[in-house]
Amino acid sequence: MSLLANQSASSRFVWPEWATLPLVGGGLVIFAWVIVGLTVTSWAPFDPVKLAGMRFQAPSMEHWLGTDSLGRDVLSRTLYGVRHSFPIAVFVIGCAVVIGCTLGAIAGYVGGWLDGVIMRFVDITLSFPPILLAMAVTASLGPGLGNAAIAMVIVWWPIYARLMRAQVLSVRQREHVEAAVASGATRSRVLIKHILPLCWSPIIVNATMDFGQVVLLAASLSFIGLGAVPPTPEWGQMISEGAVQFYRWWIALGPGVAILSIVLASNFLGDGLRDYLDPRAA
Amino acid sequence: MEGILRNAARAAAACATLGALSVTLPAWAQERPLVIARNLEINSLDPHRAFCDTCQIYLSATYQGLVKLAADDRSIEPSLATEWKANDNQTEFTFKLDPKAVFSDGSPVEAKDVKWTFERLKNLQADPSFMMKGVTAIETPDDKTVVVKMESPNSEFIGILAAPYAGIINSEVASSNGASAGADAATADKGETWFLANSAGSGPYVLDTYRPDDELRFRANDKFWGAAPAVKEIVIDQSADAVSQAQMLQSGAADIAMQVDPDTAETVASPDLTIETVPSYNYIYVSFSPGAAGNQTPLDREVRQALAYAVDYQGAIDFTVGGKGALQASPIPNGFPGTDDLPMPEENLEKAKELLAAKGLQDGFTVDATVASINVYGVDLALLMQKLQQDLARINVTLNIQPVASAVWRQQIVNPGIPFSARFYAPDYYGSAQYVQFFGMVPGSWWERNASGQGKVDLVNQKEVDLLQQALAASGDDVARLYREIALEMINDRIIVPVVSPNLILAYRNEVAGVRYSACCNLPLAELSMK
Repeated sequence: MSLLANQSASSRFVWPEWATLPLVGGGLVIFAWVIVGLTVTSWAPFDPVKLAGMRFQAPSMEHWLGTDSLGRDVLSRTLYGVRHSFPIAVFVIGCAVVIGCTLGAIAGYVGGWLDGVIMRFVDITLSFPPILLAMAVTASLGPGLGNAAIAMVIVWWPIYARLMRAQVLSVRQREHVEAAVASGATRSRVLIKHILPLCWSPIIVNATMDFGQVVLLAASLSFIGLGAVPPTPEWGQMISEGAVQFYRWWIALGPGVAILSIVLASNFLGDGLRDYLDPRAA
Repeated sequence: MEGILRNAARAAAACATLGALSVTLPAWAQERPLVIARNLEINSLDPHRAFCDTCQIYLSATYQGLVKLAADDRSIEPSLATEWKANDNQTEFTFKLDPKAVFSDGSPVEAKDVKWTFERLKNLQADPSFMMKGVTAIETPDDKTVVVKMESPNSEFIGILAAPYAGIINSEVASSNGASAGADAATADKGETWFLANSAGSGPYVLDTYRPDDELRFRANDKFWGAAPAVKEIVIDQSADAVSQAQMLQSGAADIAMQVDPDTAETVASPDLTIETVPSYNYIYVSFSPGAAGNQTPLDREVRQALAYAVDYQGAIDFTVGGKGALQASPIPNGFPGTDDLPMPEENLEKAKELLAAKGLQDGFTVDATVASINVYGVDLALLMQKLQQDLARINVTLNIQPVASAVWRQQIVNPGIPFSARFYAPDYYGSAQYVQFFGMVPGSWWERNASGQGKVDLVNQKEVDLLQQALAASGDDVARLYREIALEMINDRIIVPVVSPNLILAYRNEVAGVRYSACCNLPLAELSMK
């Protein structure tokens, strides 16, 4: 009798509408990497910057992803890599969203010459290919993850400024905003209480998708020697080391798969969020 | 039936064409350029500004010195000069030029060209100018006689003249294109740009084209006065790393790969290739610059000694070149005069800790370590730095590694200075004085200037100055004895600490002949041929 009741209960279980496969799958991968980043120091097989065995060992039971040219465990370095890539991605996206959305909202709502100045600045910044601009800024600041992060913020904020301005221009035409203005609400109150809450959906979706792109750009800068400095276990730098050891494929395998998983997961997560937050766009 | 006949006729025609091709292919193969894969890293093609390994190859192929280094890498042979003699105290050298010698434009090599060349080399005050240090006068009694006078004895002068940087330039051609040899040449000379597209020597090859970071192309000198080179055209193709060079070699895109490291060489297996491992005079060293602006902790002699004790030298050889290298005692490389039985570098953590504790630095400190991101002689300098970082961490010293482009390193080592770094060196000729004049703490040497922060701290070792003067005036067994004393002083300076003398990998296709390592010139192009 109880078995039948359980079967009946499970047959009645319905996935929530928001729990689409891309959203759940992407979210789980990102969540897993976050957990790895938070806990890896207590269970990683080896110290990521110290000698762990003979150099250039192929994958084995002791070193699942082999060892690199200094005898360091590639798996441990790959796992530790997330502790550098994720904080950078969060910092870059966070700063880009705050700076871009603030300026975009002001440009869209205030309009006039201020809008012109801000958006021309956005146009100028966006006219440079992102990787070239990031390279130029990092090269002038000097190598290092901190400088790479600053360079990427400079590359990324205009995207959010333009997106937010477009949203504000669209929402400010709506009737509830006109009603708020007619009822004597201050301009800042209208912007913060009546316009911005309706502008966040595309920003969130974009930020989620950009997360993987920032990880990729940070790795690219490290690959060409402008990001992390040795012996930081950073994925781009590890791939760079693997690239000159072409026949020792395992050196670049771990970081390569890590970057792939995060870029894919953030794209899936962004897609899922878009489906949920803005069904019309889907 | 008609269709069958037509197809048979077509097949016969195809076979005939293939047959003809197979007959003509060897002839074509003889005419194709010989391709060398190499990281060019050229700082200049001006013979008196150039100072790099590829420059040695280039200059020794396009210019000729008065003398040249023999294949044994020790003895000196005639080149433009048929005979030479020195006075008893080695302060005056007289050379007789070969009357047959002509430049690539057909004009004869004359004494005025030698005088102009040596004066320009000295007055330009560029990297190789130290070779003419001490020259007080150059006389030309006739068109084919040159007399060089020195302010003090220099028993190595003849050896110096075998260096590629001392190749004789066609003075008329160079002067008419902006080059200057006057006392104000350092500011008045405008010839460097012209030298990027032209050569003006008497060597077996002339410069065909140079495209930076792409290729350096030579063609045979039609007017060469010696035995014509077997290969009419040679291209040094830019290939930045060992793997891409090995791949070019395996695919047939290159005939010789010059910088394949031992790790990569292990992965290259083909019956079409020859891989030789030979000892070299090249070496990688770490440097201390106590006068560098970014120095947080005074790098005095005891601190430098402590850091030197903390280095795992054998481990560095294992990690950088897979064990295919040798320890080196002093900045004068193994096998050069004065290097017999020198004490090899020692790893001793206890002594290192004691020395630091005596300085109150037992808790360690951080040192900035900027290094060029290059792989040279099979050693990735950034990788070597990471190995040293691990070693020094054992005595609580943290290396703050900053990889930069090689050109940036060249600027930074001069100003503001780099407290701790790694670099490489290859000899320019067979003789120990070059190392004292470049690495020694003698006034004005390249490393004395840079390590002292252009004179901010006093690093001059007067004993080295005195010994060098004696060595340059000495002859016979005294030469080796004096250079040995200098080497011991240089070891004790702890400004330059050699880490590894890597073996050289010569990797080439089986049909190439004449590939050899030369101490002065890396790879003598004129000796190459195709079987």
